[in-house]
Amino acid sequence: MVELRGVRHRYQGRVVLDLEQFAVPRGALISVVGHNGAGKSTLLRLLALLEPPTEGQVLLDGQVVPKRPAAALRRRVTLVEQRPILFRGTVYDNLRFGLEARGMGSAAKGIVADVADQLGLTALLGRRRDELSDGEVQRVAVARALAVRPDVLLLDEPASSADRAAAGALYRALVRERAERPIAICVASHQLEDAYRWADDIRALAEGRLSPVTPENLFRVELAPGEGVKQARVGDIDIAVMTDRSGPVVVAVSPTDIFVSREPLASSARNVFKGRVTAMAIERRGAGVHVRADVGGVELVAAITAEAARDLALGPGSPVVFSFKATAVQVF
Amino acid sequence: MDFLAEGFRRAWDLLVGGDAEVYGIALLTLKVAVVATTISCVLGLPLGYFLATRRFWGRRAALTVVNTALAFPTVVVGLLLYGLLSRRGLLGGLGWLYTWQAIVVGDVLLALPIAAALSAAAIQGVDPRIRRTAETLGAGSWLTAWTVTREARFALAAVITAAFGQVVAEIGTAMIVGGNIRGSTRTLTTAVALYTSQGDFGLALALGLILLVLALLVNIALQVLQGRGSG
Repeated sequence: MVELRGVRHRYQGRVVLDLEQFAVPRGALISVVGHNGAGKSTLLRLLALLEPPTEGQVLLDGQVVPKRPAAALRRRVTLVEQRPILFRGTVYDNLRFGLEARGMGSAAKGIVADVADQLGLTALLGRRRDELSDGEVQRVAVARALAVRPDVLLLDEPASSADRAAAGALYRALVRERAERPIAICVASHQLEDAYRWADDIRALAEGRLSPVTPENLFRVELAPGEGVKQARVGDIDIAVMTDRSGPVVVAVSPTDIFVSREPLASSARNVFKGRVTAMAIERRGAGVHVRADVGGVELVAAITAEAARDLALGPGSPVVFSFKATAVQVF
Repeated sequence: MDFLAEGFRRAWDLLVGGDAEVYGIALLTLKVAVVATTISCVLGLPLGYFLATRRFWGRRAALTVVNTALAFPTVVVGLLLYGLLSRRGLLGGLGWLYTWQAIVVGDVLLALPIAAALSAAAIQGVDPRIRRTAETLGAGSWLTAWTVTREARFALAAVITAAFGQVVAEIGTAMIVGGNIRGSTRTLTTAVALYTSQGDFGLALALGLILLVLALLVNIALQVLQGRGSG
């Protein structure tokens, strides 16, 4: 298990990550979601032991990792970066790299063939990096990381350039790996559907901190000074927020706090937005349905029961109204 | 223009005729250049890698020193080295003054900053993800350095070319610490200067042409090596 404790990490004097505790247990596939700049990549770099936190500790299986970890310790954790890069040489050379680094060159052939097969790369083994698409590069990078069989595997937006089929193959390979041995996997992503479909647990990161609410409907906004109800501009809509806070903040609306209706409701809700359903998904870990709708160019997600979805006869493209109170908007 | 035509004719005769002195000077120049370039690059490339990849106190100052050293006047380096190698100098005991080894030392002092500063720039130009990826895949410091260096191979080949160019065309230190002694420390550049001042344009031109051909051959060889290493 890899864990961060009491971490406050600064970059150019600014705190970019502030986590009391964050752990990825063995045998778990954890998904970290959040906006660009929320701190996901920094979190993964710290977990990957590529840089020490400016304050706080990183622990690997309960042992505090020193600021300059030995190679043997670093080899237990592998990170696949967002926009990964391949070394010069062929795909085969890349898949061998980590094994060579561990003095396992003699066993490389079988292992490389195995991971290449898992991720559908067998036909690409002889290709060079400039002969691959972005999606193929991502798959090679994931395969290269899987080949070294790390105890902790960290992936930063691993499927951002992959089509749905390739993303599915990639996550299936991760799930298979986790089923075979007690590996800890942490995936940073902004694709919530993937997180809900494949992850055991989802953590939302906003402004370098773990969000107290679910990861949907998180927006970075600028609030005017003053008290009472304020308007937070998000895309083309203004969300009414009840708060004393001002300046740059993150606002969040829990999907379960959103009323879904076909027509505007006569109610006390200060936020009433008309839009169209863009997608509906059954939440894997509950009985609810996630209704995703585009309201004025902003995507909001509401969680309702399957029965309610059926009664409202909702489907992709249906006109829909989302309502929620100004006091339901959390500010942090 | 007559003297130029006459010079070319003389140069042709000397080259085709296999003049022993001309070829002796050329071989010494090549020897000095190869040894000095090799030493400069063996020391300078790792130094450049270190400066480019390590964060330590005084790094910026070290980079400034190396970059300033790029502009060292060759005669000043020659003068300082003369002081060190002369009988009463710190390195006088070596007895290297007016030997080809002294020219090599002077050339190394001039080419080392080139190798270090340009290779640091070349390594800094490598995508930082290469180094991070190598590290996260378990590479130790040597394999990481090798992986990063391979990515910068074209720029580093240019560094070696630049170091060789500095060494082979250098005249200031060669003149001062080499002494331009016939049959011993006379290099192509010092010989060109001498024969020009003596009015022997043909010989000077012949040596100048050899210098150009030498530089051309070394560059072609480096390009061939680059081509083999591509992909």
